[in-house]
Amino acid sequence: MNQKKALWEKIILAVLSIVAIIFFMMPIYWLITTAFKFGRDAFLLPPQWLFFEATLKNFQSVLASDKTFLYIKNSLIITTGTTILSLVLGVPAGYAIARAKNRFVGNSSYFFLLLQMIPPTAMLIPFYLIMRDLHLLGTYTSVILLDTVFDASFVVWMMRSYFVDVPQEIEEAALVDGASQLSAFFKVAIPLSIPGIIASALYTVIYSWNDFLFALMLTSPKTKTIPLGILASFSAVEISWGKMAVMSIFAIIPAVLISLFLNRYFVQGLTAGASKG
Amino acid sequence: MRTKTFRSVLYVFLLFVMVVGAVGCTPAVPEPVEEPSAPVETAKKFEGVELTLASMTDQYVAGFRYLIPMFEEETGIKIVMDELGYVDLYQKLTADFVGKTAQYDLMTVDIVWSGEYAANGYTLPLDDFMARDAAEINTDDIMPVAWTLGEWEGKHWAYPLAGYANVLNYRKDLLEETGITPPATQEELLAAAQQLTDGDQYGIALLGAKGSAVAQDYMSFLQQHGGAVLDADGNINLNTPKNVETLDFFGELFNYAPPGSTDYWWDQRETAFRNGTVAMMEGWSIARAGYENPEMSSIVGKVDVTAAPVSAGMEPKYGFGGWGIGINASSDATKQEAAWEFIKWITSEEIQKEWIKHDGAPIRRSTLEDPELNTLYPWFPLLLKSFENGDGDYRPRIPQYSIIQDALGTYVNAFLVGQETAESALIKAQEQIDANIK
Amino acid sequence: MNQTLGKSLYKKFQNNTYLVLLLPLLLFVVLIAIYPLFFSFRISLFDYRLTDPNQTQTFVGIENYIRAFKDPIIFISLKNTLIFVAGTVSAELVMGLGLALLFAPETRIARFVRSFLLIPMALPPLVVGLVWKSLYNADFGVIPFYLKELGINVGRGPLGELNFAMPAVILIDIWQWTPLLMIIFLAGLKGLPKEPYEAAYVDGASRWQSFLYITLPLLKPTFLIAFLTRTIQSFKVFDIIYATTAGGPGNVTTVLNFHIYTVGMTFFDMGYAAALANILLFVVTIISIIYIGVMSRQQY
Repeated sequence: MNQKKALWEKIILAVLSIVAIIFFMMPIYWLITTAFKFGRDAFLLPPQWLFFEATLKNFQSVLASDKTFLYIKNSLIITTGTTILSLVLGVPAGYAIARAKNRFVGNSSYFFLLLQMIPPTAMLIPFYLIMRDLHLLGTYTSVILLDTVFDASFVVWMMRSYFVDVPQEIEEAALVDGASQLSAFFKVAIPLSIPGIIASALYTVIYSWNDFLFALMLTSPKTKTIPLGILASFSAVEISWGKMAVMSIFAIIPAVLISLFLNRYFVQGLTAGASKG
Repeated sequence: MRTKTFRSVLYVFLLFVMVVGAVGCTPAVPEPVEEPSAPVETAKKFEGVELTLASMTDQYVAGFRYLIPMFEEETGIKIVMDELGYVDLYQKLTADFVGKTAQYDLMTVDIVWSGEYAANGYTLPLDDFMARDAAEINTDDIMPVAWTLGEWEGKHWAYPLAGYANVLNYRKDLLEETGITPPATQEELLAAAQQLTDGDQYGIALLGAKGSAVAQDYMSFLQQHGGAVLDADGNINLNTPKNVETLDFFGELFNYAPPGSTDYWWDQRETAFRNGTVAMMEGWSIARAGYENPEMSSIVGKVDVTAAPVSAGMEPKYGFGGWGIGINASSDATKQEAAWEFIKWITSEEIQKEWIKHDGAPIRRSTLEDPELNTLYPWFPLLLKSFENGDGDYRPRIPQYSIIQDALGTYVNAFLVGQETAESALIKAQEQIDANIK
Repeated sequence: MNQTLGKSLYKKFQNNTYLVLLLPLLLFVVLIAIYPLFFSFRISLFDYRLTDPNQTQTFVGIENYIRAFKDPIIFISLKNTLIFVAGTVSAELVMGLGLALLFAPETRIARFVRSFLLIPMALPPLVVGLVWKSLYNADFGVIPFYLKELGINVGRGPLGELNFAMPAVILIDIWQWTPLLMIIFLAGLKGLPKEPYEAAYVDGASRWQSFLYITLPLLKPTFLIAFLTRTIQSFKVFDIIYATTAGGPGNVTTVLNFHIYTVGMTFFDMGYAAALANILLFVVTIISIIYIGVMSRQQY
């Protein structure tokens, strides 16, 4: 591992890195610059990457609509609801599966794996009918419930691998001191696994914030989320790539913030799982 | 100390769950309670009623944006508009109707949906309202063809809102350079498209994208060639010699369209025309005004428009389309009344003028003959002529329309990209339709 | 290590306490997920069209399933789904490992680049699809423009050509999800023991050899995780297809989820859509069970 690299190797690696960076960053750069372009310039060829007539018009027209804030608010409510519900349900379950010697509890992890594999449309069709009968179509609740099925199953898996990695000795010591198993969980296991919980929360936030299909079917005009708002900037005639780009920028803000500032948790969350195998 | 922290964390958790639960459980659909509408004799009978309007994001959405505040001011009715793209609008509206959730009280209804909406009773028949307020609405002034925007088997399931004629837009400058006169027949159109194609300059812009786009463009050419989706008995019969021939013609036109055309949706077709890539484009008349707007068009002043050409020797009939506006059958009675107020208002003669000036489209003869509007929009006489000879039924407005459109949308596209021949495409589309219609 | 005492206490409590911790989720899932699936099985035996004004449900037995097997699109879309999953997962595994190796060094630059590379996976797939759709546009798009500059004939554009539409859609997925595999592999690489490499170095093995004979075998569990994570997600693809091709041109990118969506959520032919969904569910379950078999043998 520590052998010296030859110059040509270094050059190849540098070129590869640059190609990778361009490949992964170019579409995002395109999106951001489009938000600052006039409609007629968005598709000028050759593409104007650096020097173009910049405008804030797209931002103005998007921000002038109170719909934008409604979509953001709805996305926030659905994301918060899903994340909290998924954690409240998923973290204890992940702990139980990691610790239990009981076969039923231990093997239920496969059940949650299976759940994650259910095709979304297979769930959506009956769920839509049930929500209709319960008069819950168009509510936040319906979206949160369905998102949580998938997100909580994911949290279980992630937290299970995390808890497996947390040494049990401290919990056992607490039990010896007379603590109940529940308090061992709350007072010992949870504090030790905060990074894992944060990681789970991040993934849940991203998945529920980005959800499109469920929101498409289950929300009403008053509970629409941002991805659906983005679709509305497409019309039969209006060339509104600029507006689409601005809405998309709002939609990607949490993702970008998380990627840039909390990325160590991403890595941490998966380390537990990956190193365990 | 730890205990405390964790207990508080737990409480915060619980609190959140409760808050979210409370927020989530409040159904977002029901509106604030309306005032019991006793027969008050004020002008603002519907003060405080809130209506949700689902509007297609067509040009006329700008008209709604401009006019709705005026209407709110006048009547005290609040209108929340939800703007949706064509595919989403159809899908969300159907979901709303079949779920009987009444999320939308008012909706723009595409001409081709009228049969389906009527058969399933999605929208409220407007005949009672129309009979009651006959004195106010002056229905004689509405162009006869405009009624196809919502009339089905004698009842009115949507009220005419915006009428479009299929017209041929072309670049005066390019045609002049090449020495071509505006095509008067389909055959001339093909020849002109060929002549105008040169390097990066293409002859014609078409809709080729899988889905409603390609299906509707094909049906439009079908109309201009004398083909039809329905046979004389009203049965769906796609595989006729005329239809196959027209599909081949349609495919040939694509040789003179930009290479990406098989992926074009309406917006891309507009872009191709507006940025000068193509010389001609058949399309809805409502887009015409936009070509003179320098913010989105680089062909200002270079465009002219003529009637959509039909095949040589055919009696000229012009494709008519556009949008009606309907009232959700599941909305409550007060809202339906208020919604009717809005329909009456926006389709009235005086408001129609404002509607046109803000990117709307005409339905009334008085609007089309208005001198002021004719100065502003010199192509209005052409519209009048097209409307007088308009055919609103070339896309069959039958209840099974969306199944036809879906099948054509897939297989005409498959033909264009070379996966099917014209005949096999229509055979397969017919098979898919037969399998999906009971 | 007072394990013995701990263990005995443990045993005393474990069964019921753990069940208590597991139960809320289990109940939730049974209510919100399992019950609907049974419900879905029931409606798949009925002719149930929501668009029917009377909302009649006629019992038709397995007719919907028979109809599905006669439906040419279901086989096409099943095939497309498998191509999509195989294409995305294999390419992402290779590229993810490549990126991880490229940016594994703990230098400032690598760390900086890594955090940027994470952005794609966090973006809404719908936005990703829309952006790529415009990049791919044959006439105004950036990618065909540069390809044409290079003298390559792009024809109808990547999304418009029968042979390129699927690879083009797969590339979008690769763009979005390779970063996830990069972090999984980074994590795996960090967890590798140092000793084997030192031994190999002493034995004079080249870096390539030690990668081939030490790194890859040791990364096997990581591969499994990565494989599993991505396959699960890849089977669910919907947003990207919805945003780019709507299953076209023709039917070459119609995946099962998209087909079911069209039948169920556009035509509201619920009985038939449920039957299609159940077939997909069946396929996915079989695949999952195979996985689980493999996983549990891997002491998972």
